[in-house]
Amino acid sequence: MASHVKLSVNGVGKSFGHGAHRVEALRDVSFNVVQNEICVLLGPSGCGKSTLLNIVAGLQDPTAGSVVLDGKEIDGPARERGMVFQSYTSFPWLTVEQNVEYGMKLNGVPKAERQERASHFIDLVHLAKFRKTYPKNLSGGMKQRVAIARTLANRPEILLMDEPFGALDAETRWHMQEMLVEIMKSSQTTIMLVTHDIPEAIFLADKIVFLSSHPGRLKAILDLEFKKGKDIRDKEELITLDGYPECERHILAMMRAEARPQDVT
Amino acid sequence: MTLAGSSTEAIEKTAPRTANPGGARRRRRRFFEFKSDIPASWSLTLGILVWVLFFGFWEFAVWQNWANDILLPGPGKVLSALHTLFTEKAFLYDVGVSVTRILLSFALACLVAVPLGILMGSFRTVEAFFNPLVSAWRYLPAPAFIPLLLMWLGAGDAQKLALLFLGVVWFLTTLIMDHTKSVPADFVRTAVTLGGNRLQVLRTVVVPAALPGILVAMRQMLAVSWTYLVIAEIIAADVGIGAMMMRAKRFLHVDQIMAGIVVIGALGLLFDFLLKKFHGIAFAYLEENVR
Ligand SMILES: Nc1ncnc2c1ncn2[C@@H]1O[C@H](COP(=O)(O)OP(=O)(O)O)[C@@H](O)[C@H]1O
Ligand SMILES: [Mg+2]
Repeated sequence: MASHVKLSVNGVGKSFGHGAHRVEALRDVSFNVVQNEICVLLGPSGCGKSTLLNIVAGLQDPTAGSVVLDGKEIDGPARERGMVFQSYTSFPWLTVEQNVEYGMKLNGVPKAERQERASHFIDLVHLAKFRKTYPKNLSGGMKQRVAIARTLANRPEILLMDEPFGALDAETRWHMQEMLVEIMKSSQTTIMLVTHDIPEAIFLADKIVFLSSHPGRLKAILDLEFKKGKDIRDKEELITLDGYPECERHILAMMRAEARPQDVT
Repeated sequence: MTLAGSSTEAIEKTAPRTANPGGARRRRRRFFEFKSDIPASWSLTLGILVWVLFFGFWEFAVWQNWANDILLPGPGKVLSALHTLFTEKAFLYDVGVSVTRILLSFALACLVAVPLGILMGSFRTVEAFFNPLVSAWRYLPAPAFIPLLLMWLGAGDAQKLALLFLGVVWFLTTLIMDHTKSVPADFVRTAVTLGGNRLQVLRTVVVPAALPGILVAMRQMLAVSWTYLVIAEIIAADVGIGAMMMRAKRFLHVDQIMAGIVVIGALGLLFDFLLKKFHGIAFAYLEENVR
């Protein structure tokens, strides 16, 4: 398979505020995301991961550089770059089914196709039994699955996720991570996901983009060679793989190097 | 250590047998318990008790002749005055006029406050433009405008509607703005990254997300509306609940005045109850176990 560049981040920089209050969040960040891969943005808290993802989504403008998707420079938010947030965003006034159809409705997808696509993605996230349920009666993990199905059903070119499992308990997290890997296998999608959880990053990623802090700069791009060609479905398989402890140790060392004394306290 | 150990043992051995034979040991319910629910039977009993005490005290005061019979009629007299008002004095017409004034002025206030509040809560530019005006008017007591309104609009219904409108609209706008602002930013961000344009986001996310809060704001301000109604009708009116009470004052019919107060209270409760019910039905998705 040819590795076709789906998205490229070119020299992106971002500062907030002016004069003495100026905060430089990102400086000269460049990397590519290849079609159908999961690219994980990893780095210590406050290093600018969310800022970078928001820039890719078009929710914030970079102060320097550009982001190019399929050869076109991005300008503002659009359907091609659907985003899933850490906070629960399934709309409480809509049922699971209506939530999943919501994006397609915005984009004028005809009713029959909308229902068909919705039911496909609801099955994919294992919510078939909850089609007519309102979010109030769903657990946190289920609400996130609704959000993921809603974004996927809208057929984005790239799925952006900002710590999507960050608010979930440890057990639910594993299930969600394994489900995401399962979804990736059945539907071709390119994903850019932000996390600060190292095992999550290694489990999900084809490629890890590691950012250093203050300002956020590209520190390393890890290709996770030890996972290549292996069909890993759950965490146990991952952690027993040759190369896993080495990889985790390497990332931990980078994390530690970034955590400056003033951040720790 | 040993002491603590043996004492718990003792409790475990003796307590189930003596305190609650056959069942699990339960802590005795205290009458005053911070933030804890009470049985339905308790709230019913306490709710009735407060009224029994109220009427008991009232009857007692009348019986003791604390005030002149004319100035302080008993509950029974007020009740019969209420009956007379409805059967002989066409009081139902007064009530109808008052309710119409409330509903009409409140509908007008909503017509302005709902769109304005939603737009102010959605767009900082709209807020920056209108908020200085809205805040200033909010702190002006509406009755301060009565002399002006009387001169401009006369003593008729237009003046009353204007007073009720002015008394409610600014607060309602502010409350609706606040409820709109508290719509989660990630709801809006989700919708725009799904491809929604400004109008779609406003219509399909901001409005439905703010709606339950908006209805709560309406409920609160409708209660305030009654205050201004009574002021308006006491100052200058021929018909209406307040007008009836002022007429009764002229003829020293304290029982009728009190009957008027009772009716205003009952109507206020009724409106509040209806809106609360409506809220529960319209926003049933906010309750758990609704499918
Ligand atoms: N709107 C903003 N105004 C000012 N500073 C901001 C803003 N958003 C983020 N920052 C700063 O930019 C840096 C990166 O933030 P963020 O992207 O949220 O980090 P991460 O997601 O990696 O934890 C932080 O130092 C944060 O304080
Ligand atoms: Mg973040």
